Amino acid sequence: MRGMGYLFKEGVRSVWNNRMMSAASIGVLASCLLITGMAMLLSFNVRNIVDQMGKDNQITVFLDVSVDEITAVQKIGPEIRRLDNISSCEFYSKDEGIVKWEQELGPLFGELQGTENPLPHAFHVAMVDLSQYDTTVDSIKQVEGVDMITDRSEVAKRLTDLNTLVTQVGLWLVAALGIISLFIISNSVRMTMYSRRFEISIMKSVGATNHFVRTPFVIEGVVLGLISGILSSVIVAFLYEAMISAVKYIVPIEEIPYSDMAFNMTAGFIIFGMIIGAIGALISIGRYLNMEGGEILGW
Amino acid sequence: MIQFKNVSKIYPNGTHALNDVSINIGKGEFVFMVGSSGAGKSTFLKLIMKEEEPTSGTIIINDTDITNMKRRRVPYLRRTMGIVFQDFRLIDKMTVFDNVAFAMRVIGARPAAVKKRVNYILGLVGLRDKAQNRPAELSGGEQQRVSLARALVNNPSLIIADEPTGNIDPEMSFEIIELLNEINKQGTTIIVVTHEHELVHRFKNRVIEIQGGKIAADSGVPEEKAEVPIEISEEELAKIPDEIAEEIPDVSADEINREALLAIGDEEADE
Repeated sequence: MRGMGYLFKEGVRSVWNNRMMSAASIGVLASCLLITGMAMLLSFNVRNIVDQMGKDNQITVFLDVSVDEITAVQKIGPEIRRLDNISSCEFYSKDEGIVKWEQELGPLFGELQGTENPLPHAFHVAMVDLSQYDTTVDSIKQVEGVDMITDRSEVAKRLTDLNTLVTQVGLWLVAALGIISLFIISNSVRMTMYSRRFEISIMKSVGATNHFVRTPFVIEGVVLGLISGILSSVIVAFLYEAMISAVKYIVPIEEIPYSDMAFNMTAGFIIFGMIIGAIGALISIGRYLNMEGGEILGW
Repeated sequence: MIQFKNVSKIYPNGTHALNDVSINIGKGEFVFMVGSSGAGKSTFLKLIMKEEEPTSGTIIINDTDITNMKRRRVPYLRRTMGIVFQDFRLIDKMTVFDNVAFAMRVIGARPAAVKKRVNYILGLVGLRDKAQNRPAELSGGEQQRVSLARALVNNPSLIIADEPTGNIDPEMSFEIIELLNEINKQGTTIIVVTHEHELVHRFKNRVIEIQGGKIAADSGVPEEKAEVPIEISEEELAKIPDEIAEEIPDVSADEINREALLAIGDEEADE
């Protein structure tokens, strides 16, 4: 289209001419994108941990201390395997248990140990579908000789709740920060328009179409969004690494590497930033496009 | 060219700016519009420029009824007009060249056409040597000539000058009106709103006086100017180089000011 080069140049130039306001807009929009991005990354990771738990759905079924090894292996084991939703059931003897306990407790173990191994025999049971956790656990409890089962349902529930919370908070953050960004960008563009109202009035008087009046300001908004998108995607990469290191220091987790999400995150930031920029600009322009002559100049 | 048929304009605050005005301004006329402040002159111009809508009546410009013209068509109507303001309305941060070029750029003219046409128009108003100056470095008269150049650059068939001499000294005022007279001789219709009676008396043109929103007096077209429209022979038309005609943006061939085109053609030949 004729004149697009001129309009593009005007839009970009105006970002530089109003650099203070542009910097403020970029700062706010980039911060919004950053918070949104971090909330998303957190949500992805929580979901990933929950998924991992689903795959690593092993529970420990402890037998009564009076149950001997032969009864456990020949009677209780096959009975558990016959139940629905059981993918594997491996015997875990009390001798293996005491060895593991010794390794975990270290010097303390010596003080605690009596003459007999106090641990019961156990089975490591894996489920096909973790969502049927409660039903399956109830069935296992019915098997004679089963004393107790390590209950991981609370952990799974907490993680699922956390994921829901992070997703919901993330969504609210996106909505709230999106509105704030729109407000800031539209104000920035409005200031540009105010400073260029003279030009706008001349443009209209010589017969510029609304498209011609509008385009440089939309380009300005889009450029602000683009810069914010690039800036926030760079910062979020560093911030993510730092956050993961901090979390790993407290809890050992298997995080999603940023490189796996880098393209989607960057593209998302840039597209979201540009859309917010364009909408913000359009909000400001509408008012001026409906004005004529001296009205634009405030006369 | 311009026809007002029983046009009235009442603003939302109740001001009756124009009351049942009917008037014809022919193609190629030079009209002075006089009247006291608040008489309705500005409203008259705003209605022509489609900055305001009439409350009642019909307005026809270039055989087109603009009374109910769609909003998206208005920019194209304005491209047939050039506006000169009392306060010049030049953009300080732009050079003289860019101020004039601005009017072409915003309607999507090609850079090559802009360069050629702006240089020509600046020559016409005697400011080619000031092309790279900023408006602040020029006198009031020169600034108004830049404003006039901007109004002319898109080759309008109508020039509307709203008190063009209001901010400049008398000598310069005559210069500006003289320049408008020259442009008028090439067939462009000119409407000048002014308070300066001396100017009106010196230049023998049609004078329309508006008072209280009505046409209080209309001198009619002076006899010596009754045959203003210029005729150009087929031979002269043939002299216009095709590539020049193509360079003029967004103006149909029959709307193009032929004298100006011939002048560009001559310039090309000189180069």
